[in-house]
Parts: sequence; C-alpha cells; structure tokens
Amino acid sequence: MSDPPDPEVAQAAIEYCYARGWSDGLPLVPASKPLVDRFLATTSQDPDEVIGELEQVGRTCSVYLAAVNAAMAGCLPEYFPVVLAAFDALMRERAARGGGWQSTSGPAPMIVVNGPVRHELGFNTTGGAFGPGFRPNATIPRAIGLIVRNAFGIRPHVLEQATQGLPGRWSICLAENEEESPWPPFATDGGLPAGTSAVSATLLRTCEFVDNRHTPDPEHVLTDIADTISRTGSLIFKDTSAGVVLCPEHAQLLAGAGFGKQDVQAWLMQRCGRTGADLRRAGKNGLRGSARFADPDPGADGEFTRILPSPRHVPIVVAGARNAAISMVVRVFGEWSGTATQIKTLEAERGHVPAPVTR
Amino acid sequence: MAYPILDPTGSAATEAKTSVRAPRRTNLRGATVGLLVNTKQNAAPFLDEIGRLLAERHGAAGTMARTKVNFAAPAPEDLVKEMAAGCDVIITGIGDCGSCSASAVADGIAFEAAGLPAAAICSDAFGVTADAMAELRGAPGYPYATTPHPVAVLTPDQVKERAAQVLDDVVALITEPE
Repeated sequence: MSDPPDPEVAQAAIEYCYARGWSDGLPLVPASKPLVDRFLATTSQDPDEVIGELEQVGRTCSVYLAAVNAAMAGCLPEYFPVVLAAFDALMRERAARGGGWQSTSGPAPMIVVNGPVRHELGFNTTGGAFGPGFRPNATIPRAIGLIVRNAFGIRPHVLEQATQGLPGRWSICLAENEEESPWPPFATDGGLPAGTSAVSATLLRTCEFVDNRHTPDPEHVLTDIADTISRTGSLIFKDTSAGVVLCPEHAQLLAGAGFGKQDVQAWLMQRCGRTGADLRRAGKNGLRGSARFADPDPGADGEFTRILPSPRHVPIVVAGARNAAISMVVRVFGEWSGTATQIKTLEAERGHVPAPVTR
Repeated sequence: MAYPILDPTGSAATEAKTSVRAPRRTNLRGATVGLLVNTKQNAAPFLDEIGRLLAERHGAAGTMARTKVNFAAPAPEDLVKEMAAGCDVIITGIGDCGSCSASAVADGIAFEAAGLPAAAICSDAFGVTADAMAELRGAPGYPYATTPHPVAVLTPDQVKERAAQVLDDVVALITEPE
C-alpha cells in the first residue's frame, strides 16, 4: 500500500453520510463517481434502467442508485451483479413488493447464493453461514437495506413501522454448501440448471435453531424440526411457510437414509401442524378468510390441522459447517415465489469463467 | 475535494400542492357514503357502524361498501372511479398496520383529487407513518381521524363504541357547516 489514507478526511466523510440520514446506523463508505463507475462497469444494464418500483410510496430504484447504495454498503464492484440479481429476486416476491418493507413485522430478506459465483467472489460457504465475518455475505444484504432506506425512502419510525424487527435484518446472505450437500443446489428448485450462478430470495420473520446431534435416526431429526415448525406463535394465517436450512450433517443423515429433498418436504408437510385444541388454547383456531382468530367453539379440538400446503412452503437449503448437527428453521414472511434468479456477470455473458478470488 | 460524495436517495423534494382537499358539503343529508374497507381485522364492522350512524344521526341516504384487496397498496384507479361516481363522501380505513395506515391516508388524498371529501381513520399508533405518506403525496398536514390502538382485538360491541366515539371527528373532516 502507498501512503495510508488520511483518517480525519475519512472520518469527516463518514460523519457527512450520517448527517444526511443515509446510514442504517453503521458507518458507510462515502460513494464517489469513480467508485460508482466501477460498479456500473460490471453490468450491461443501463444506469437509468428502473429495476424496482414501490407504487405505494411513489419511488423507484435505478441501476445507478443501486450502485451508489451498494458502494456505500461496502460491496466491492464485482459484487454488483449479485446485488442486482438479489434485488431483482426480492422484487419478484409479492411480500416485498407489497407492504413488507413497511410492515410491523419488520421482515429480513434472506438471500441464498448458488453456483460458481460463490467461490469467484469469496463467499463464505461453510461454517457460520448466517454470519458475520465475510465481506460479500455481509455487504450484499446491507446494500439491499440501504436501497430500501435511501432509494425507496422507507426509514425506521416513519414509513417503516417494525414493532420489534429481528436480529440481522440486513445481514442474511447464505451461500449454499453445495460441496457437502447430498442434493442438487437450491437454485434448481427455483427452476435453474445446476451450476448456474444464481440467487433466490425471500423475506424472513426470524430463524430458530434445531440442535439434534445425538441420534442416528432420521425420523428423530425430522420430528424435532417438525415440532419447531409447528409452534403456534408464528401461525397467523391458515397456512404458513417455513424453510429449513439443514446443516450438512443432518442433510447427509437424511440422504443416507434414502430421503431426497422432496421426501423431506413431503414428510414435513404431512406432520407439521397442531390439533384444534392446541390452536384454541392459543386463540388461533378460528378462520376469518385466511386469518386466524379465537373461536370459542371446541368442536374441532380433536382434529389435526396441517399448515404447509405445498413443497414451495417448505424450501430446503443446505448451509453451514459439517462439524455439528445443528439446523435452522427460517420463518418465511408470506411465501416464497419458488423462483431463482440468474446472476448476470459480464463474464457470464461473454462465456468466460473468471479465476477464483483467493482469500 | 476532487469528487463530491454521491447522494444515494435520488429524490427530489415533493412539491406541496396548493389545495388537495375537495370542497366540503355543509351537511350529510341525502349523501351516499362510500366505505373503503382495507380487510384489516375489525375494519369492516367499524366502517359499517360509521355508515349506519351517519345515516341515523346525520341523514345520509345510504352506503356503498367496497373492499380493497391489497391493503398495502393505494386503491386501484377503477375502484376510485367507481366510488367517486357512486358516492358523495368517502370513509377509508382502518389504518392499523405499517403499510395500510399510510395507504389509507393515500387513498383519502386520491379521493379528494377525484372531488370527494374523504375521512381516513387510523389507529393512533401509526400517526407518524400516516403523516409521512401525506407529505409524500404532496399534502403535508392532511387531516385524518384517529382511534386508540389496538383495534384488531376489540369485540363487536367495543367496535361499535369506538365508531361512535370517532363519529364527530369523521363528520368534521368531511363537512364544513355554513
């Protein structure tokens, strides 16, 4: 490195960004034209192209604004095609296009990355999948958060009305551990061929771990996961959606017992749910439209109500290290659209595969 | 400095329009009251009761109730047109969540632009977001009625009480006595 940068200039620039109200609370990288130009150079999309519109607030996001926010979030320019794909994937989700960013539930995007881009850009694909510690995993979801704040103008306490929010709202970006997964990559469930660099995205209300490391029986593991999925607290509508981020050990245990991903989904769809009595005790046994409410009638106490209507409502991802049997149930806000989005790098457009980034 | 720090918002300040409010009626005698229900829990019975009280106590001729399926988004244009054609005043609500409170106010402003006096009703927990939306729509300070939070847990009788409590505010929003 040549002369070290002037810390006082850097501090003044950071404080300038705070004073303008652009920050999510943490320091931002002040964006300049040369930096943003390097982001724009990674895509064939026009800087003025509108890539997202939020009708209710009358705001749009262009490729240019996404680049400014991605630069401020701390992304490297080469991450920008992933930011664009992740934003595109999120804007396909009804939950995000509707009132999700303003919602009292304060949901977090969960971005799942598949394909060679994981190693090309140095994503963490193993231990500590939910973070922190790795620049692409940390800064790409932060860029989405800054776009929502700055380009869409949805700021906490004003147009954003989260009651409590959740830990890690703008920091969940998993790169699937394809190398240790016994199953095809998650992006293939979203309709893309294996080996495609792609992102899938949905909104989460929270995550909850399932620690089950002392049994060789796949049914024990699935029963434990089903119990977590079936909690009444997260049940607000007739149906629910809960993803399972399996650790490699659980995934391999299940695959070794003959379970394909679809078998796991079918098993959970069949077993996840509660009895009418359980739901009544929690004031959630009645249905008005699709919303649950307290119905004093105990008539359905003995019936078992299933809550996962389709495989799309229980997406399965494999992530983390193979060092313990700890998986995560992720609580989907609304439902996942079931689509994956290809990452359009210039290299991919030219048919060239870049060398992996060394960490 | 060689290069300025770039602005990530891309926004120009919204220009405040000179008048966003439609002309007020002096009273509600013979008026058809449009009820725009946003599907939030208790919104329908709340607005129904407002409609009933406006007929009983203020001489309104009747109501036209419509439901907005997507509570987070502004009312679709054809729905605004239909209600503007068939109604004399509009009541919209209940703004009882992050997106629907803002959206109830946005709908009120849309009906004002279509020439109808409107009263949005929001839970008092969402004042900031409702005000922010009014500003976004070029109508800073646009007045709306509030009812104490929460609304979703009220019993049918409590909903009626609440409707009665907010009635005078609603009438004051949509009329202007001579």
